[in-house]
Order: sequence, then C-alpha cells, then structure tokens
Amino acid sequence: MTGAWKKYRIPYLFISPFFVLFLVFQLIPVVWTLYISFTEWNGLGKPVWVGWDNYRLMAQDYMVSDALRNTVVYWISGVAIILLLALLIALSLNSPRLRFKRFFKTTTFLPYVCASVAMGLIFGMLFDENAGLINEILAALGGPRVPWLTKSAFAKIPVVILFTWRIIPWFTIILLSGLLNISREYYEAATVDGAGTWRQFFSITLPLLRHIMFFCMLTITVDTWKMFNEPYILAGPGSSNTSLFQLMYQYAFQTFKLGYASALSVILIVILLSISVAQFVIRRRQGEV
Amino acid sequence: MPGKQEAELSARESDMKKTLVALLLTAALLVPLSAGGSKEAGKGPGGSKVYPEGDILIWATGQPQFRKMYYQAFLDRHRDIAPKVNIEVVSLKTMAEGQQKLAMYALSGDYKSLPEVIMLDTVGVVELSTAGLLQDVTDYYNKIADQFVDGAVADSTVKGRIFGLPDAVRPQLLYYNVPILKKYGIDPAGMSTFDGYYQAGRQLKEKSGGEVFLSYVDPGNWTWRYWGRRGLMPQAGARIWDDQGNIVIGSDPGTKLALNFFDKLNTEGLLYKTRMMQQPIYEATDSGKIATFYIGAHWAEFMRKNLTRTAGEWRVMNAPVFKEVGKGGAPVSTFFCLVDTKTNEYTELFKMLWYDFQTNIDLRNAWVAEMEKLKGPYSNPVSKAMLAHPFWQEPSPFFDGQSFRKAEGDGLANPSKNMMVTASDAEADIIISAELEKYIAGEQSMTQAIAAMDRELKLKVKKAKLP
Repeated sequence: MTGAWKKYRIPYLFISPFFVLFLVFQLIPVVWTLYISFTEWNGLGKPVWVGWDNYRLMAQDYMVSDALRNTVVYWISGVAIILLLALLIALSLNSPRLRFKRFFKTTTFLPYVCASVAMGLIFGMLFDENAGLINEILAALGGPRVPWLTKSAFAKIPVVILFTWRIIPWFTIILLSGLLNISREYYEAATVDGAGTWRQFFSITLPLLRHIMFFCMLTITVDTWKMFNEPYILAGPGSSNTSLFQLMYQYAFQTFKLGYASALSVILIVILLSISVAQFVIRRRQGEV
Repeated sequence: MPGKQEAELSARESDMKKTLVALLLTAALLVPLSAGGSKEAGKGPGGSKVYPEGDILIWATGQPQFRKMYYQAFLDRHRDIAPKVNIEVVSLKTMAEGQQKLAMYALSGDYKSLPEVIMLDTVGVVELSTAGLLQDVTDYYNKIADQFVDGAVADSTVKGRIFGLPDAVRPQLLYYNVPILKKYGIDPAGMSTFDGYYQAGRQLKEKSGGEVFLSYVDPGNWTWRYWGRRGLMPQAGARIWDDQGNIVIGSDPGTKLALNFFDKLNTEGLLYKTRMMQQPIYEATDSGKIATFYIGAHWAEFMRKNLTRTAGEWRVMNAPVFKEVGKGGAPVSTFFCLVDTKTNEYTELFKMLWYDFQTNIDLRNAWVAEMEKLKGPYSNPVSKAMLAHPFWQEPSPFFDGQSFRKAEGDGLANPSKNMMVTASDAEADIIISAELEKYIAGEQSMTQAIAAMDRELKLKVKKAKLP
C-alpha cells in the first residue's frame, strides 16, 4: 500500500483538486441535504427531527404532483423538440448549398446568449392575453384570443417555447460539430451506390451522430429537470406551470421550509439518477456504450 | 568562473534580504498608521465619535438609489464624524428577497456580507427579529416617539420590542380617471363605499359597451397582494388565523365579505385582466381601458413614471369602505431595520441619518422636489412637524392640481387594522394566492377557492407560528 502510494502520489496529487472540490461542494451538501430532508428547519434555528413527515406531506401536496407532471412535460417535449429542431437547423447550416453560412451561424446562436430573464419578460408581453402580439396575429387571422398565461391548460406552452427557443442554438452547434466530423467520403460512396438523400440521412448521418445525440439527450434531460427561469417569469395560474426545481426554491427561500425543500431535492436527485442510469442501461443493451 | 557566479548569487541574495527587511520595516510603520486612520473609531474635533472608514450597506426595495442621494449628502455634511464613510445601496425586487438573502448569509455565518440596514415589511420584521438578526431599537425610538405619527411602529413591534425604524406609513387609496368618469356620468363621490364602487363599474361597462373596465385583475400573485392582503381583507376585518394561530380563513365572515366582493367584480367582467407592473397594464390604462385603481399610495410613483397620455387626468380619494365595517384602507408600513452584524459599527450613525431624513424639513422637502423632477419615488414623512408643513399640501401636476401629498395624509384617516402577521404568513401567501389564481383562471369558484385555501393551510401549515 505504502509502495503504491509512493509510486502514484504525484498522479493522485494532480487529480486531488477535483475530488476535494467534489467532496466539499457536492458530496457533503448532498449528504447534508439528505439529513435535512428528515427535519423541520427554517435555516436559522436548530433542525428538528421529524422522520418521514416531509415525504408523507409531499405525497399529499398537489403542488408537488403538479410540478412533477409539469417537469415531465418539459422534459419530454424539450428532448423531442430541441433534438428535432436542432438537428434540422444543423443540417441546414451544414448544407453545401447554403450561402452566407457565417451570418446564419451567428444569428442562429443569438438566442442562446440573450439573458433568459430579459427574454422571459419579452415573451410575457408577447403572450399577454389582451395586448400580446401573438394574440393580435391570431385575431387578425380570425382566430380566438388564447389565454396563454391565464389558463392552466395553456400555461406550459409559452414556457416550452421560450425554453426551446433559448436552448436550441447550443445543441445546434454541438450537432453541427458532429456533422462536420462525418467524412464526406461516406456520402460520396453512398451517392455512387445510388443512395438518395433520405437513405443517406438514415444510414449515415443519424448512426454517426448517435453518440452526440445521446450526449445531447442527457444534457437536455438534466437542463429540463433543473428548469427555473422560464416558468418563474412566465408564471401561470397557481402551480399550473411550476417546475419541480422552482417549487424547491419556493419552499426553501420564500417560505423557509428547508426540510421540505430538501426532501424535494432528494426526490429530484433520485429521479435524475434513475433517468441517467436507465439511459445508460438502454444504450449498453444496444451495445452502444 | 564558478567562483564569480557564486559571488554574484551571494550578492543578489544579500540585496534581496536587504529589500525584504526594508519592506517589512515599512509595513511595520504603515500598519499602525492605517489602522489608526481607518478602522478604529476615535474622537472628532468636537469630542463626538468618529466613524471608521467603510460603507454603510443598505438593502431596500423601490429604487433606493434615489434615497442614496439624500443619505450621501447627509454624510457629506458630516465629514467631521464620518470622514471616510459612504453609502452603498442594493436594490431588492421584493422585501422577501432581502429577507431570503439575509437569512442565507447569516445561515452560512457570513456576517461580513450582511448589510447594516435592511428595508422590511411586517412579515420580514417578525421573521428576522424572531431569528435574532435585527437590533432592538426600543429604547432609542421611545425617547423620540412623540415626534412621529401614532402607530408608526405598531407593525415593527414584536413581543413589545421595536425592531424597525418607521420609513413610511402609506394608505390604501382609490385613483380615478376624471375624463372617463365624466364621460360616462359617474360621480366619484359615489365610490366612497364598495357598493358605490361596484355600481360605478357596472355603469362603465354598460355605457361603454364593455370597452372601459372599472379596474384590473392580475392573473398572478399581485391580486392577492393588492386586492387581498393589503386591500379588501383588512378592510373587511378578515382573518387567516385566530389569535392562537388556528386556521380560520374557511369560516371567517370577513374573508367571505372581502373575497365575495372581489368575486362580484370579477365575474361581472368589471376587471381588465392584465399583468401588474408590466407594460400592458400601462398601455391599457393610457388608452382609457382602466378607469380606477384601488391600491396603495405607492402606485402613484408607477403612474407618474409610466403613464404619459393620461397624465393630468387622474385624481385620488380615500379607499371605499364596506358599509358593514365602516373602516378605511389599511396602511402599509415599511421599516428600516438595523441588522445585527456583530460589529454594528455604524448603528448610531444610521440612527442619526434616519432621524435627519425624517425631521430635517428643508432638506427633505428639497429632496422630494428633486424626486418630482426626476420622477423618482418618495412617500409622506412620518414626522408630525414635517407633515404639518405647507409643502406637504402643495398641488401635484399629475393629479390635475390636487395635492397628492395631502391626499396621502388624508388616506390614513379611520384606518383598518392590518391582518395579524405570523412567521407562517409567507407560506400562507403562496398557498392562498395559488387558489386565487386558479379562481381567476376560471378553474374554480370563489367558494371552492376559499375552501381550498382552508384545506391547504391546514395540511401544510397546520397552525401559524406566532411571534
């Protein structure tokens, strides 16, 4: 052991900063959160042990089930919409027939660098029921005014639109880098063999992008489960479009129920771990990892 | 050659040592000078305390940069006792935000980042004083209490001790657009009761063909804040908790009176649905869609700043009353609370500053005049002497020559008592507002909403934590 330590101490020393930071800023807080989730604590006095009370209350709290449902909607719609649109845009940007590529690449990336809070306020105006531009257009086309942010049934739509609009550019760039790494020779060979555009897309492009798309899917999953700004700014009635992360913040820092908020975050950790593990297991079964 | 190199190295080493010694000596000489000059409080020329170099950090809502103008000028006038003290302000979106940040800093033991002063409402005072984060100012305030309006510290008193110096006591008011009411033949005097207010709304709707609305309704949490907690609820004598902290909102007659009246306005389509404090509400108001606002005196700042086409068309009167109760609007008090930073080196200086702002008539009036020019925020003073000054009766151009300052003072007459505030009220606000929002969205009736408020409070809060 001493010999191994002596032999590897320099490499251990080099990787130690990560582990120290991981221990201090991630592992210890997670363990602390787990402990706090079994207490009632407002952050100022001493935590009072309440056992499973917070978890039991969670099962009865409609705001939690609403937030959970909303976040699942954001996750599924986010993964589908973002991957599809980002891929389409990346393919367009990669097309040899596209002119002014630099201009389009820059403009495509712009939404990502805009502050989400500022964009949220603008989207709030766009989706205003009475004075919003979206409803003005709908009305001009003879359609009804939609209560985008004033009815629970519609309140998630502006959130999904804002979130996907902001985040698509980032994944477009990632997918575009993947597309640029696919050798042109595959396409030339396929063309010689008589493969059409669709065949080339399904037999060359998609299979060669699968690792990057898996990475994107994981990242979008984590991003959607941690979504905060969009539903916070474009708040709908009650908890109709509240995300789980937002609810956690609300309980922790608006009502100072840190025990309950910690219980929520434990659930969030479990969900994210389960999803990530499930995705890896599926990939492993498919022989991809 | 090696011998020459060694000699050179030795000479360099010797030079470095000399330099190091010289630096250490210089530092040793400078340390006492700097400590004496900047960190230790000494005595000024007149024998008064001299405050150490540094910043007085203030966290406040409502564009505190304007207030900083007055405070900084005060410090500039008192350079004999505060030669190197400056004011730093941090603007908070809400008082709850300040409360959160303060609690987080204290929780992490980071007392150095705490502000010296924080602006709080009653909920914040109760929560933070209970947590021991605020300084007790009872002895200081009681010596000067007779100079200020009665009840100025009623809402910053917890278990008989005062934890906040009053900054403003602002009434609930009714703002109305004169040309609109005139056009539809409505006498503003009729709106002195809530029945009359409702009738005015019906007339506006009928005569304008649904184009003009009595007032607004926000689909989010502003409705509970402005129509509920600060408006109709205290005026109807409504309660969320009884004196023991038990939840009574579901059976409380005051709650029913307040929320059923709001229900009547809303279901009859007298309220224009739009987001509060955002551009669409100002657009709608400037285009003549909204005729009145039943809201606190602070709304005047937003009107002056955001309404351009209807400037000069507005007037203001006392809030309507429920005939059954007969009480006017409940005042909203805000306080400057001294945070217990453990060192508390600027506590006395801030008390002087606060006192000057509240009692220095000439300078305060000059600052208010400047605020009017800059469209900045200001509120009526809480000092009796200042309120009696003719300046506070002067006409306001935005209000068609009516004196808004006088109207604000008049609005404090016959006040309703504010709802009891407990340490559970922040959570109660979220629970109640969520049910009200679902009601506004048309997803439940008001009766169902009140029942749901009661049920959810009993499930999540169980019993209010009394201070």
